Amino acid sequence: MSRKVPNRITLTIDGREIEADEGAMLVDAAKQGDIEIPVFCYEPKLGQPVGACRMCLVEIEGIPKLQTACSTPVRDGMAVHTRTEQVKEAQNGIVEFLLVNHPLDCPVCDKGGECPLQDISMGWGNDRNRVIDEKRHFEKPVPLSPLIAIDRERCIMCYRCVRFSQEVPEDAQLQILERGDRSYIGTFSEQPYIAPFSGNIIELCPVGALTSYTYRFRARPWDIEQGGSVCTLCPSQCNVSFTIRDEQVKRVLARDNPEVDDGWLCDKGRYGFQAMYSLDRVLNPLRYEGGYPVPATWPEAIETAAAGLREAGSRTAALVGDASNEEGFIVQSIVRDALGSADVDSRRAPAADRETVVALADPAISARTIDIDTADVVLVLGTDPIHSSPAFDLRVRKAVRRNGTALAVATDRPSALDGGATEVERYAPGEAANFLIELAAAVRSGADTGVAGLLRGAEEAVVVWGERIGRGQKGPEALAALLELAGSLGFADRPESGLIEIPDVANARGLREVGCLPDAGPGLSETAKGRDVEAIRAGLESGEIDSLLLFGVDPLRDFPDTEGWRRALEAAGHVVCFSMTATETTEYADVVFPLESHAEKDGTVTHPEGRLQRVRPSAKRPGDIHPGWMVLAELSAAIGHETGINSAPEALEAITEAVPFYGGLTGERIAGRGIRWQDGQAAEDFTATLLSTTAADPVPAGVAPAAAEGSAGEDSGGAPGGIRPTESSPAGRELNDSGALTLGTYRDLWADSTTDLSPALNYLMPAQRLEVSIADARRLGLSRGDEVSVNSGETSVNARVAIRGALAEGTCFLIEGTIEDNANVFSRGEPARVEIGRPEVKLDLVAAGGDGEAGEQ
Amino acid sequence: MSISPEEIKVVPRGPEPGGAGGAYRAFGETLRGLRTTMGRLFDEPVTIQYPEEKTPVYPRFRGRHKLHRFEDSHLEKCVGCSLCAAACPAECIRVVAAENDPENRVSAGERFAAVYEINLARCIFCGYCEMACPFDAITMGHDFEMADYNRSDLIFTKEMLLAEAIDRTPLRGEGE
Ligand code: SF4
Ligand code: SF4
Ligand code: FES
Repeated sequence: MSRKVPNRITLTIDGREIEADEGAMLVDAAKQGDIEIPVFCYEPKLGQPVGACRMCLVEIEGIPKLQTACSTPVRDGMAVHTRTEQVKEAQNGIVEFLLVNHPLDCPVCDKGGECPLQDISMGWGNDRNRVIDEKRHFEKPVPLSPLIAIDRERCIMCYRCVRFSQEVPEDAQLQILERGDRSYIGTFSEQPYIAPFSGNIIELCPVGALTSYTYRFRARPWDIEQGGSVCTLCPSQCNVSFTIRDEQVKRVLARDNPEVDDGWLCDKGRYGFQAMYSLDRVLNPLRYEGGYPVPATWPEAIETAAAGLREAGSRTAALVGDASNEEGFIVQSIVRDALGSADVDSRRAPAADRETVVALADPAISARTIDIDTADVVLVLGTDPIHSSPAFDLRVRKAVRRNGTALAVATDRPSALDGGATEVERYAPGEAANFLIELAAAVRSGADTGVAGLLRGAEEAVVVWGERIGRGQKGPEALAALLELAGSLGFADRPESGLIEIPDVANARGLREVGCLPDAGPGLSETAKGRDVEAIRAGLESGEIDSLLLFGVDPLRDFPDTEGWRRALEAAGHVVCFSMTATETTEYADVVFPLESHAEKDGTVTHPEGRLQRVRPSAKRPGDIHPGWMVLAELSAAIGHETGINSAPEALEAITEAVPFYGGLTGERIAGRGIRWQDGQAAEDFTATLLSTTAADPVPAGVAPAAAEGSAGEDSGGAPGGIRPTESSPAGRELNDSGALTLGTYRDLWADSTTDLSPALNYLMPAQRLEVSIADARRLGLSRGDEVSVNSGETSVNARVAIRGALAEGTCFLIEGTIEDNANVFSRGEPARVEIGRPEVKLDLVAAGGDGEAGEQ
Repeated sequence: MSISPEEIKVVPRGPEPGGAGGAYRAFGETLRGLRTTMGRLFDEPVTIQYPEEKTPVYPRFRGRHKLHRFEDSHLEKCVGCSLCAAACPAECIRVVAAENDPENRVSAGERFAAVYEINLARCIFCGYCEMACPFDAITMGHDFEMADYNRSDLIFTKEMLLAEAIDRTPLRGEGE
């Protein structure tokens, strides 16, 4: 089904003629005529109105009783009155009722000054309350979770928080306990409300019943300023608004952008601001002298960095990670134009080549984020959005719940979305290619069962796929099959169907498009082929590359093959590291430059759907931090190449000149909501220049998915939880008596430096755990919480056992990015076979307490 | 710049008093004034020896602020709600609140003022803060002697505002 354009109708409210969309709720229609109807429980973000609070009563001609404006759709010719005596009396009465039990502790209440209940009592209430009896009493405030305090006395039972928990992330942890006038909000058996999106209920609560521990009493609405920006902690790039007091971020609020985030934030985005003020933040340039960091002045640091890079010349490589488009653009220009090298990459492991990147970015086969809302079928492929890009998880859930979208999930590890899925396919770690080849073949041959059947039967379908399926030896095949799938499903001719890629890092798409790829320059243009991230590592180790520029990356934590990177960094002659915080990697640097956070930066980033968004400076840069683009431009000049960039807008201008399909996108046009470049004037340019020159045949030759022909159309045998044996990988299930398992790794939402450095989030930091299936656990004699060591050859990490029913036999999973026992030591392109043993050295691990489980019921 | 004769405007003077009128103007008024002077010559002096002596102020005189404690519990009345800061037209009040530790309370409510500062160099002594305060925690005292050598010394902190004012300003009694 596709998005419909609703009819316009006319109605009168308070004698004013108003035009509105047919089917819109009366409150919303009234807003268009500048008439305000007070509401408490109505919140369109939460889905259908419930009409619980009765605050919105209005008189409608022809209906004897008052009606709730929040749940009455408008009709043509309707006549509504919002200010009659009857309505006033009702409103007064409702406010009086709400205040029966509400303590008037506004001066100590955090919500005071930004409280809808205050506003509505002042605007629509009576100034007197006739109730003289004792109010309800509860202990106040009590922790609802380590992040949220609940004051039940203030609660007006609007159910917004409960509806959120039940209907948006669907964790169903919040409940109404007791009945009648004793009801209160809580969780069963007083468990803490731990969920990845819990913070949203603080914003939803119309009174001060739910407050944030990190913001409680920090400021009042008149002490603060709001600064809009974009959260760059994950690829969802949710729009945020920073609350600033004394030039520091005190709180992060959602800045509703229905096309990006639907007005929700995950707790990492909401509480992760604390990392900006952590003690580990690099506040000024550092030089390492004899292994010790010494503060350096900016000119000194730039000169030292430039001297090293100049000396290494074309034997320099650069890796870019947490960077804006502007920063990425200047880094690649330093490498290519100033140093004459071609070795630059923005990925953590090698993936798609230029042709494939271009083919996949084809606007015709790309979906927009909002296409998920109305698609008939969504296929989530090789990514678990709850970990990789939480906002997408909510969007997929919304489509399933509100639109009846059929969901298909195909991943290696059981995903949080499995529960709502119509079809679940599981492939062995690293075997996405086989699954995709089969799927593509099935679709081509007209199968009408399983995922293929779903996709073929859909009028509009969206495939949300993870960058990781393109990794490893079989990556190219997987992506070719994906392109073929898009081709045979005819995405190019279907306006609301297409692919969306969930990359591994927040601004991956932008960085690729501004030229941070080894084989593509700005605008994905053809350039001299340089080394990709793995070749850079190897080159450093072998001495072919001498100097390394790291911009916002931490290879020792985030990249596969930790040991290899350690050797590479040791071998590197000169390392320049731009980093927000001190990490293990910065210890290998010769010069460290501090980086701005997303509350301080001025620049643009590109959302996975191609939307350019602006990151705006809201808070003061702590210490002696300079803007990233400025430092890079100075560095480039010091090396001997003038960039001509003297301000942030000039940096954006340089990009829009260099990237043809970003043409004409100025800061003003991008503005607060962002703009997809595919909607800009230059989309045709992309098709004309890039697509015609690269792949006339979108499927690169040599990877014709013939391998799967045999199994095409065959019944998708794999029940959820079982690995689907594919012809080319009968492995999966296959066990060997040695007890070796196929290891897959995944990046947990909480396993990153933001969590370590934000005191409020600390408790969510997962300790390493080994997920095994019930059968394997039984066979290996493991039980929950056992300490084991996972070994592959020389490499080994310790972990605690977690048994997951949905896991396929023969596979096991570890978390990447944990502080200790990081699973990245295992990943060297292909999934490892690991043996499980007992650890020799007992390590005193902090109990995980099942934290990672939070969103995965 | 030269002024041309046309530009010059002649304003006629009033008639010059001469004779008796002139003499009165020269001496009469002076003598009248002298009479007052002479009349007071043997009176007590009325000079108030300011630093040693002070004019009493009216009870509702708005002088330097005071923060108060409860008399029984000695907890601070201020809960750090910042309403005074919101009301202040000179924007000279800064409140940073914090959460009370139930074991070791500072104020009676959930929150207290961790930082409470009034910049007296900016204060216009309008008394709006006193009116805004829902807890009668801040009142305008009678002290008006705040001159200092350093601007930053005029930023009064919570401790200074809470401290028992050295009651230097006498209060005017009933009917005075
Ligand atoms: S806690 Fe807040 S959001 Fe939840 S029911 Fe009470 S008033 Fe509504
Ligand atoms: S003095 Fe009164 S108004 Fe000012 S912060 Fe304290 S309690 Fe609030
Ligand atoms: S807003 Fe309409 S019933 Fe609550």
